[in-house]
Amino acid sequence: MTANDQEDRQVSADGFDLPEVEFEKVNKYFGENHVLRDVDLAVQDREVVVIVGPSGSGKSTLLRCVNRLEEIQSGEVRIGGEAISAPDVDVNRLRQRVGMVFQHFNLFPHKTALENVTLAPVQVRGLSKSEARERGLDLLEEVGLGEQADSFPAELSGGQKQRVAIARALAMEPDVMLFDEVTSALDPELVGEVLAVMRGLAEEGMTMLVVTHEMGFAREVGDRIVLMSEGEIVETGPPVDFFDNPKTDRARQFLERVH
Amino acid sequence: MGETYAEERSGEAVSDEGLLTDERVKLVGLAVSLAFTAVIVGFIALVLLEYVNYDLLISVAPRFVVAFARVLAVVLVSSVFAVTLGVLVGLGRVSRTGVTHSIATAYVQFFRGTPLLFQLFIIYLGIPSLWPPGGFPISRGWELAPPVLVVDWTFITAVVALTLNHAAYVGEAVKGGINAVPSGQMEAARSLGMSYVDSMREIILPQAWRNALAAIGNDQVILVKDTSLLTVIAFPEIITVFREINSNQFDAWTPIVLVAVTYLAITLPLMRLVQYLENRAEWGTGG
Repeated sequence: MTANDQEDRQVSADGFDLPEVEFEKVNKYFGENHVLRDVDLAVQDREVVVIVGPSGSGKSTLLRCVNRLEEIQSGEVRIGGEAISAPDVDVNRLRQRVGMVFQHFNLFPHKTALENVTLAPVQVRGLSKSEARERGLDLLEEVGLGEQADSFPAELSGGQKQRVAIARALAMEPDVMLFDEVTSALDPELVGEVLAVMRGLAEEGMTMLVVTHEMGFAREVGDRIVLMSEGEIVETGPPVDFFDNPKTDRARQFLERVH
Repeated sequence: MGETYAEERSGEAVSDEGLLTDERVKLVGLAVSLAFTAVIVGFIALVLLEYVNYDLLISVAPRFVVAFARVLAVVLVSSVFAVTLGVLVGLGRVSRTGVTHSIATAYVQFFRGTPLLFQLFIIYLGIPSLWPPGGFPISRGWELAPPVLVVDWTFITAVVALTLNHAAYVGEAVKGGINAVPSGQMEAARSLGMSYVDSMREIILPQAWRNALAAIGNDQVILVKDTSLLTVIAFPEIITVFREINSNQFDAWTPIVLVAVTYLAITLPLMRLVQYLENRAEWGTGG
């Protein structure tokens, strides 16, 4: 039954208002450091939520709680209604519904671009090698890297690596994609190609949670902007309101500094 | 040697007027290494021309061939076991399960903290004495391929002790290799829904293996040389043959030359093999 939920996500999304990702009163500490303070946030199906804020404000930590790369101390994080933060949950099953792209790519260096993309579908979802290969090639084609299928990560540029990483995450057919400062480690001239792929995904209706410093991208692609500061969500709203009419002083200060 | 020394010093050379200019250090290094080579080559020539009895050398060489084969058999078996067990020890050392971690740590501390010779005695003398006198079941052994491969208590002791001892060192190398893999690799694998075991097997260990290969290879070379200790439990290996010939013939240099050749016949190809494996494990940098 839970397996069906995964397959029928479009139908259920049309039928119900169950958020894809939901934070409820989430608190997270690193030792004494209170990095997430009573965070409440719901990301709806097909919504693109862009999280901005100064460094150290807890944006990345928030993202990493979605697929439980970080443990939370109180509250609940839910994926499609299921609590991934629950102690007895099958975390590997829920993680399949969440794709993640990292700042430093984290491609597997001993595997080719195609192998990076096909590994998890074969290992985790039990796809046949040929099926995974076919779909992997399609995905690489989609991100503009059909030619590089047999290249190792060391032979690719930063922008190409990041596009392979996106294809790798998409290969698991996730319901939600997480992007953790995915252009921060790129040379400026390579940022565009990665943002273009992300823009395309958003247009196709992918649910996305994006941590970024690219304000232009946030304004253009985001359905909603979330500003974090010192572990709290201090303002949230549509890009037009957030960028042109910030309600809080914090938001105004932040926007002054990034502009 | 001279080259590296020169390069290290070049960073410290304060000024052009200093005694240690790059050029001078380079020349001194070259001169020293040439002088060293000349002395060694001269000495080897002297030994080979004046002190080696070639009739004796030819007549005892077959005994070294047999010792070579015996040592090779022990090394191959022990090495395979040691690396296999060592990977498990390394996994135990990085385990976040407290008990597993503690047991692996205690294992490594004991086997690295006591001499191999002592460990040989524990097994060779200690284990049989757990039975009443004369009651230890393994006394004669199995003559699988005599005289090279006889699986008796001496052989078993040798394999078990070398395996347990070197698994501790391999374990530390594997642990270091695992820790050198960036944490993002595990995170990426886990975020795709892969289990810890699958992530370790598919992602972490292949990279850790490459990181640890030089250290593991180095340890296998040491394992070869550690077989020399087996002479004290009467395993007829290379040093045992040397001692027999030396005491019977009152000749030192003839068997010394044979010992050197026999050990190098194992260690040099082994070093080549390790180098080959290291080169093979470079992903996507060759083209």
